[in-house]
Amino acid sequence: MSDREIAIEMRGIHKIYPDGVIALRDVDFIVYKGEIHGLLGENGAGKTTLMRILYGEIKATRGIIKIFGKRVKFHGPWDAIRHGIGMVYQHFTLVPTFTVEENLYLSYVSIEPKATIDDVREKVKKLMDELGLKVPLNAVVETLPVGVQQRVEIIKTLLRNARILILDEPTSVLTPIETKELFNALRKLKEAGITIIFITHKLREVKEITDRVTVLRRGRHVGTVVTDKVTQKDLARMMVEREVVFKIEKKPKEPGEPVFIVKDLWVRDDRGLMAVKGVSFELRKGEILGLAGVQGNGQRELAEALAGVRIVERGKIYLYGKDITRLPASRRYSLGLAYVPDSRRVGLIFDMNIIENTVLTNMYRVITRTRRIKWGAASKYANEVIDKLEVIAPGITSPIKYLSGGNQQKIMVGREIIREPTVFIVAEPTRGLDVAATEFIRKTLLALRDQDKAILLISTDLDEIMQLSDRIAVIYEGKIMAIGKPEEFTLERLGLLMGGVVES
Amino acid sequence: MSPKEIKYKLALFTRKTRLTFIIEKIRVKYVDYLTAALEIILSATVGFLIAAILLYFMGYDPYEVFSILFRYGYGNIGYLLSKSVPYIMTAMAFSIPSLAGVFNIGGESQLYVGAFVALLVTYYTVNPVLGLLAGIVAGGGLGLFISILRVYRNINEVIAAIMINWTIYFLMVYLITGIFYDPKIPHQSIQVPKSAWLGEFLSPWGRIKVSFVLAVIGALVIYYILYYTNLGYLLRVSGLSPLSARYAGYNPKKAVLYSMLLGGAMAGLGGALLIIGDVHNIDSTMSTLYGLGFTGIGIGLLGRNHPIGIIFAAIFFSGLMIGGQWVELKTGAPPQLTDTIIGIIVIALAIPYAYRMLISMIRRWRMK
Repeated sequence: MSDREIAIEMRGIHKIYPDGVIALRDVDFIVYKGEIHGLLGENGAGKTTLMRILYGEIKATRGIIKIFGKRVKFHGPWDAIRHGIGMVYQHFTLVPTFTVEENLYLSYVSIEPKATIDDVREKVKKLMDELGLKVPLNAVVETLPVGVQQRVEIIKTLLRNARILILDEPTSVLTPIETKELFNALRKLKEAGITIIFITHKLREVKEITDRVTVLRRGRHVGTVVTDKVTQKDLARMMVEREVVFKIEKKPKEPGEPVFIVKDLWVRDDRGLMAVKGVSFELRKGEILGLAGVQGNGQRELAEALAGVRIVERGKIYLYGKDITRLPASRRYSLGLAYVPDSRRVGLIFDMNIIENTVLTNMYRVITRTRRIKWGAASKYANEVIDKLEVIAPGITSPIKYLSGGNQQKIMVGREIIREPTVFIVAEPTRGLDVAATEFIRKTLLALRDQDKAILLISTDLDEIMQLSDRIAVIYEGKIMAIGKPEEFTLERLGLLMGGVVES
Repeated sequence: MSPKEIKYKLALFTRKTRLTFIIEKIRVKYVDYLTAALEIILSATVGFLIAAILLYFMGYDPYEVFSILFRYGYGNIGYLLSKSVPYIMTAMAFSIPSLAGVFNIGGESQLYVGAFVALLVTYYTVNPVLGLLAGIVAGGGLGLFISILRVYRNINEVIAAIMINWTIYFLMVYLITGIFYDPKIPHQSIQVPKSAWLGEFLSPWGRIKVSFVLAVIGALVIYYILYYTNLGYLLRVSGLSPLSARYAGYNPKKAVLYSMLLGGAMAGLGGALLIIGDVHNIDSTMSTLYGLGFTGIGIGLLGRNHPIGIIFAAIFFSGLMIGGQWVELKTGAPPQLTDTIIGIIVIALAIPYAYRMLISMIRRWRMK
């Protein structure tokens, strides 16, 4: 293999963000010409960061990049494009109301200002004949299925003479048939000598399409292997294996009766595609049900549907036996449901102060019959949050944006706790927090469990799931793959399930 | 205690060390006020400096111009305050929707319909209260109409409002010259009957118009709604972060509708107050009304989109307008020059806030 020509050589890549987060640590990444190279890893493993560095969107803190043996320094994507690198994002960059032809022309004139639309048509036709990729040139983009739009994106990059194609989670938007078509197309491109980097977290696809695969874990390069020589289990282990960070004491506890029941829930995402496909589970008093899964497998849509922020397509949600499927979020909150969203940008209003942010989900408790807000009562609640969760803040009238991430998170969790709800839906409660804040939040969740609350913990952090859960469920592409006690799951099995491998 | 816990407690303690804690407290608590004050002083300096340089090169004495501007502009308190009434209202017509994330450029036409409907209703009923209410309803209705187009038909509110502005403008010119003209003075509309005029009252600062008091009350009501009610909270949350609003169980679309309803109602009230309380009729070229709505945008920004701030901004601006006319009179400067001077000062004062608003608007669009 070593005599093959190297297309991309990235060595010793470090990326440290200005806020001190280390995204990549000494990563080597070598891709041979004309291969399909998988890039595998969990969320936050650094896949996208690495590729954005390769595409010139961001600069590496340290490290060297060679393209076809030539040392390069990219100042922006235009430099990468000039060196024959093309990127196809998860979210397409096509003008929806233009025809395919017009879109291709639009992107082509950026490198060839004198080209006419007829030139482009000629060129595209030739390209499509050579590669056997077909797209309808006169169709308006928004009328095309997603799979075809993606093909347009690929042709768009090839039209700009891309010899290296980066595909960022290309199958996440596709139906299984479209995925098959994409794979056929990729194989043809490979025959034509195009080098393809395929970012994914789906193990099956890695096995199916790639020649070699590089695994990243927490910003480190775990290994690069020839796909045929490893099993899905090996890959899963490489992806999730870890040293235990710290242990939290957890008292054994018998869960009580089910209080929150979800039956065959179907929910659409923002693009109108089904994101949650028939999820059912029961949440019992005094238990933490951990929902593990790679980001973007329907967790957010599920959580939003449960909280009442997103419309349920089909299925039922029961809280204490009462059907709440059609109730608005504010009603559910007053019935004893609490939802802590996965993003502080959603849960908090950064320009408002602590009192105003406390009110956000506690409105029904501070409002008079004349729709007036009792700011006095609101301040009392804000102080309660600060006391209970040991928030470090200069005062309750200081804007949330001046607090640290950990303290912001405490406010978001705390304002739910003071309401004393009985069912908690908590998404990514410790994302981006330091060790102390993480530990505090996790201990708080356990304390709530010990107070007989029912908690649904949605997290992409396997440590968190393993540490806290009384039961674990794994979600993949909107479906629950398995549900059971933590003892039934090894890390390897979790990795396989999260990668979509169904057990036989 | 585990070593981790000790470390955490220690961190907590050091962070709470008295002096740093107090400094931090002051910094966070007053940082916004301090930066705001600094901002205003700085932009005022820059604005007046540029204006002074311009005046100098045009051959006028900046000191003389400014002293006339301020002496005469702010000399007659009663006149100053009555002049500020429509500006207060149209500024709120801009600011309320702007807090909810909507750009209302339709304050102009909302003021027109408010003024016109108030004129008709008071003319026929001889009841100023009914007239004011009619003005509020008319302006609010027009604002609501624009927001309905935006929410249910996805029509850009700016384009819709601009088109409606001109439609209403010409419709009114037609109505005033063609149907509701004064038989004795045909280039004017019918007049509000004298018994329905809003009067004046005597105060230590001279004669103050009742319409100004009503305008201030209007601003206070809006202040109350924005900062002390569920509705105002909904508007502000939706404006700052539509996603958070959805999370809290609010419907951000409702915020768009309500904010435009309130904003339009304020512009309508502004028109009604102007007609019933001050000018009593509309001339056929609409010169008494034209431009008040657009100017409101600048004043809204000058007042930092805050009802109380808007009152002061409107008074400040009215002073510049009045003073500007005196400058023309006394120095023979052309009106274009005084308008430019006023424009430079207002823009310099409004720019920092406008810039921040623009940035946050862009951020909001990206988040959607």
